[in-house]
Amino acid sequence: MPKVARLHAILWGVFSMGGFIAAFLLPVLIYLVGIAYPLGLWPVANADPTSAILNHHHIGTLFLFVTVAGSLYHGIFRFQSTLTEIGLAPAKRALEAIGYLIIIVGILAVAYYLLLLNPGVLSLP
Amino acid sequence: MSKQKPFPEYRRKLGPGWWLHNSHFTQYMIREWTSFFVAVFSLIYIYELSLFASGAKDSALALMRNPGIIAFNVLALLFTLYHAFTWFYLIGKVQPIKMGKTTSKPWQALLVNIVLLLIIFYAVIQILVLR
Amino acid sequence: MSQDIATIRVTRYRPEKDGKPYFQDYKVPYRKDMVVLDALNYIKANLDGTLTYRWSCRMGVCGSCGANVDGVPKLTCASFLHEFKGRTIKVEPLTHFPVIKDLVVNMDDFMHKLVEIKPWIIREKESLPEEGEYRQSAEELERYDQFSSCINCMLCYSACPVYGLNEKFLGPAATALAYRYIEDSRDEGKDVRFPIVHELEGVWECTLVGECSVVCPKGVDPMLAIQKTKILGATNALKSLLMPRGGK
Repeated sequence: MPKVARLHAILWGVFSMGGFIAAFLLPVLIYLVGIAYPLGLWPVANADPTSAILNHHHIGTLFLFVTVAGSLYHGIFRFQSTLTEIGLAPAKRALEAIGYLIIIVGILAVAYYLLLLNPGVLSLP
Repeated sequence: MSKQKPFPEYRRKLGPGWWLHNSHFTQYMIREWTSFFVAVFSLIYIYELSLFASGAKDSALALMRNPGIIAFNVLALLFTLYHAFTWFYLIGKVQPIKMGKTTSKPWQALLVNIVLLLIIFYAVIQILVLR
Repeated sequence: MSQDIATIRVTRYRPEKDGKPYFQDYKVPYRKDMVVLDALNYIKANLDGTLTYRWSCRMGVCGSCGANVDGVPKLTCASFLHEFKGRTIKVEPLTHFPVIKDLVVNMDDFMHKLVEIKPWIIREKESLPEEGEYRQSAEELERYDQFSSCINCMLCYSACPVYGLNEKFLGPAATALAYRYIEDSRDEGKDVRFPIVHELEGVWECTLVGECSVVCPKGVDPMLAIQKTKILGATNALKSLLMPRGGK
């Protein structure tokens, strides 16, 4: 299999996993931090959900990393595949490059911030 | 095969509004555009994490209380759920499971996975928030 | 007794005369058991001998008579007039293919892709007839059976917007047939077919619109074949990454 196609096959596989992450894990995160907290709904009322999640050092940090990284990757990858369909085929290469850049920076950023917030997370419990 | 065509063939181009003419295609495009909300919410939350990480907790929480952001988040949740349901149905279509003589149908995959989603929703809240 | 009439609105295109296609209406007698092909044959026999279109078996097995009927890719021999709302039915050449004349489209692109995926059993060594037949279990047959139903009618290419936007896309039928041979236990040609289906404009362009499987008249479900081929490609790529010198 040619190298570029082989890379794309693996990127597609990751996108597929991201689809499951966005489907199963993203809804609860959006609800908790984006709707339940600001509107004072169950279960958080007015307590900050991010801090609550991060209090569970390992599992909470893992949950946030997997959900955010997986969803970001999936969302951008999928949006890229609609570029031809919305008439942006000529700019496809450039937009794909920007997309992959956002993915890389985004995933590094979320890892970095989570490490700052829970420094002990990489050491085994 | 003829090497030289004596008369021109007529080529029809697909216009940019191709997805408006067929309800299947329109639903398909909405399904694919859920990706926009999935990606943008992730970026917003990464920004929120950066505010938390730099000690600006009040700014982080104020961001999520911003009415425009709340409105976006409601849309994001709706679109993410639409992604989830269409994803479950699609997986049901392309990964049929053999159970003895019968094969699973997509709506069965949809139902089972919705139940799974509700379980995970509740489990995350129980384990990471209420405990 | 007044006869029931249907109006068939057909695309006409005469390359030597017309700059672009136009519609021409023909009134044909309407009978409940008529299919669109019957109407076209009536037109050609009684009203306008210049109307040009492809057809052959008239029973949905040869794949020759594909056209866009009221905007949907269909076999004209399998489309009953009574399926359509009202008494005016639009018949256009299969979309996404260049029009040669009237309803006849240029099939070269598909024929080229069909040959590219090598739709025959590839074996290193053919066994001689004296050695007996190749044996295949019911389970082995089931893995590729539905994909062998393809009649090369190209309705799926007309339905696929990805193909409509990018002619280089390998497309539903070609991939389904490639998968049919990849999954056939008698076939040993994975290494030959994988590079073709797994190149960038192979299966990876597919975004699971799914319209191909909706319009397929033989229940091939090319979307399923494409998805399974993607999974084969991803696992294959992962294997070659983790075991570069090893397993195939």
